[in-house]
Amino acid sequence: MLGYYLQLGFRNLRRSPVLTALIILTLAVGVAASMSTLTVLYMMSGDPIPQKSSRLLTLKLDNYPLDFNDTDEKLPGILTWTDVRNLREDAKGLRRTGLYGISGIVYPNKEGVKNFFADGVAVDADFFAMMDAPFIAGGAWTAAEDRSEARVAVIAAPLAEKLFGKESAIGRNLRMDSEEFRVVGVLHDWKPTPKFYRMDGNSSAGSDADDIFIPLSTALAAHRDVSGNTSCYSNADPGFEGLMRSECIWLRYWVELGSEAERAEYRDYLSAYVQRQKQLGRLPRPDKSALYNVREWLQEIEVVDDDTRLQTWLAFGFLSVCLVNTIGLLLAKFTARTAEIGVRRALGATRSQIFLQYLSEAAALGLVGSIIGVAGAFGMLHLLAKQSPNLEQYARMDPTMLATTVLLSVLAAVIAGLLPTLRATQVVPALQLKSQ
Amino acid sequence: MEIRPILSALRHNLTGALLIATQVALTLAIISNSASVIRERLAVSQRDSGVDAESRILTQRPILFSQIDLANLIQTDLDALRAIPGVESVTVTNQVPMGRSGWSSTFATERVPTAPNQSAGLYFDGGRLLETFGLKLVEGRGFRDDEIVNIDPKVQNPPPTGVLLTRRLAEALFPGQSQFVGRVFYQGNTPDSEELRVIGVIERFTTPWAQTGPGNEYAVVFPARYLNPFNHYVVRAAPGAEAQVRKAMEEALEKNEPGRVSNGQYSIQEMRDRRYRGERALAWLLVSVTVFLLGVTASGIVGMASLWVNLRRKQIGVRRALGATRGDIVRYFLTENLIITSAGIAVGVLAAWGLNGVLMSELSVPRLPLDYLLSGVLLMLLLGVVAVLGPALRAAKLSPALATRSV
Repeated sequence: MLGYYLQLGFRNLRRSPVLTALIILTLAVGVAASMSTLTVLYMMSGDPIPQKSSRLLTLKLDNYPLDFNDTDEKLPGILTWTDVRNLREDAKGLRRTGLYGISGIVYPNKEGVKNFFADGVAVDADFFAMMDAPFIAGGAWTAAEDRSEARVAVIAAPLAEKLFGKESAIGRNLRMDSEEFRVVGVLHDWKPTPKFYRMDGNSSAGSDADDIFIPLSTALAAHRDVSGNTSCYSNADPGFEGLMRSECIWLRYWVELGSEAERAEYRDYLSAYVQRQKQLGRLPRPDKSALYNVREWLQEIEVVDDDTRLQTWLAFGFLSVCLVNTIGLLLAKFTARTAEIGVRRALGATRSQIFLQYLSEAAALGLVGSIIGVAGAFGMLHLLAKQSPNLEQYARMDPTMLATTVLLSVLAAVIAGLLPTLRATQVVPALQLKSQ
Repeated sequence: MEIRPILSALRHNLTGALLIATQVALTLAIISNSASVIRERLAVSQRDSGVDAESRILTQRPILFSQIDLANLIQTDLDALRAIPGVESVTVTNQVPMGRSGWSSTFATERVPTAPNQSAGLYFDGGRLLETFGLKLVEGRGFRDDEIVNIDPKVQNPPPTGVLLTRRLAEALFPGQSQFVGRVFYQGNTPDSEELRVIGVIERFTTPWAQTGPGNEYAVVFPARYLNPFNHYVVRAAPGAEAQVRKAMEEALEKNEPGRVSNGQYSIQEMRDRRYRGERALAWLLVSVTVFLLGVTASGIVGMASLWVNLRRKQIGVRRALGATRGDIVRYFLTENLIITSAGIAVGVLAAWGLNGVLMSELSVPRLPLDYLLSGVLLMLLLGVVAVLGPALRAAKLSPALATRSV
């Protein structure tokens, strides 16, 4: 019976076409606005590495000078080389990596490709296994290569294609600035969203995929400049060696634990580490070190900014107006058919049958509205991505959101249809028949 | 006009009336808050940067890769740029206003850790910076060419101590003062902080980040060329010569070191557009939400009014037959709508304040100005009248003879 009612509902779309079009349009616009902003919010607050986000930790240390007076400010999530070196040497946890942004001019050894500027990161060999970065060829460099400061590199697939075309990139040389790197691995199109491992707050640096990965030890040995924030609160000696010796902060550190349970143990280790450094005369202020897993980290750096939340709020306000409007329009559409309902009731249809029939019609409207709404949401996302490069990585709809969108609009139509349908069931047949 | 019959008729159609009123209330709450956010964002994106002709100031940032004798290379580049016809002035600097990345440092008036310090953008003037950007001095003087020194980060010779700063920073550092030239302040507030002396005050010069807060006008300018490969060359093109200068600039920089990679060429106007893209995107999103909302609400009113006209055809006929004029019928529907809209507006004003309160505490949204709320109220009243006018006029055209048919 429900199938028949739905069929009837679709056929009835053609009755009072202006009203029908208005209802569908109102629903579609409301769905498009709310779902596109919700998609952005959902992608932003998504977990980029759900399988192990609770086991991947990063940390903050307070190495400000004792008399530093900006105490209200959040600690930045970057560390000194001294600390990163010590943490790496202590080798706690399952895997670990230090990390800092690099950039350089790439000299393609290929006709017709001009020199270009590429972004990358200097990491330790563990990085790829920690982040579950997928290789299409080759693999990570070895720990021995880390130690020997080998000139090796892992590159992203688009860069490999740009430099070497269809040929295999493994074993080929990549010239960046005045150095040659041997390519040992090519990463599949890997784009964790958000790019949690090197994002800090509102900087747009976190939006593009990294193209080149080289060993941290190699980058340091070559005095490769830092691409990203460097903060110094006490004087540093000149040059890169000065930076490495200084209390300037510029590196990130990630550690992967064997299980979530090891976190308490790691926390103890970190406190002990801070105490040991204090004995050496470093980290003079009270211990404010903190550990964050991936989800906590994304919250700490406020990936979801106020503007996105504002958009989402307003979009749902907009949807609510659209819903109220749909209720009114459905009321108008159904009221126009009071006489027909009277006849059906007089011929023996029960209230619940009328209820089911008219609710099916509302659902049919919702289904058509949802198709247009989904198309509209895609259009809106496209516009959002075009207007703000920071949003581009988030303005993508995945199957979950697509299903949610369709479900939401049908649900919205059914909810909007409840009141008008209840009204329809209350038609008194005798009154209607009399007036005809 | 008698209101009582309208009220009693409304009581029979309460659901519809409530729906319209709810819609009006929600719409008013959303659009008045949107309008205030739109105004705030657009105002931020139009702030004066101090640069006098943003579309004529072009910047390019070639990465200098032959890292030998950078001082000479930079001088050669500057000479080549200055020789371009249509170029009025040339400079080299470490960062540009609204360029979104750059240097900052903290400045204080005392070398004690408890002294308040201000974070400010740190510009290097490689010669003729004021002239090239068209910045205005309000006190003191700019740098002479012979004051500009080279700073080599590998050796790190300290920069000169005579500096320019922006008026806003001067006022923040020396509250209550109006003369700043000759005053001493420090880069940092620790005992070993560098001592600096003000030699000139710039009226306004925005930082690369152009923050939303007052810090966007805090900047200090040092007379120096910083010898790293990542400087910005800035040229000031004569009016009308922008296109030709752009091309010549690109070519000149390419010629001095073939195969150079450049991070693009932008006018300060384009830097502004990029910096404020987010603000503008949000503003336009809110504008479209507002327009759609008004459209949706208007369609709701039209739909409901049409329904009521249809349901009351007979009554209208009777009234007309009993002597009511067309004007009376139109007035009836207008008044009815005004009652519903006003009820919606009353609730909407409260909702707007409520929503604003929530948005203010949860998100960085400004307080809703009263005039925005009032404009919103007027707009909703107008919207109601315009929307109902169509159905009301149709009702007025109904023939009195209707009353005599189908009884």
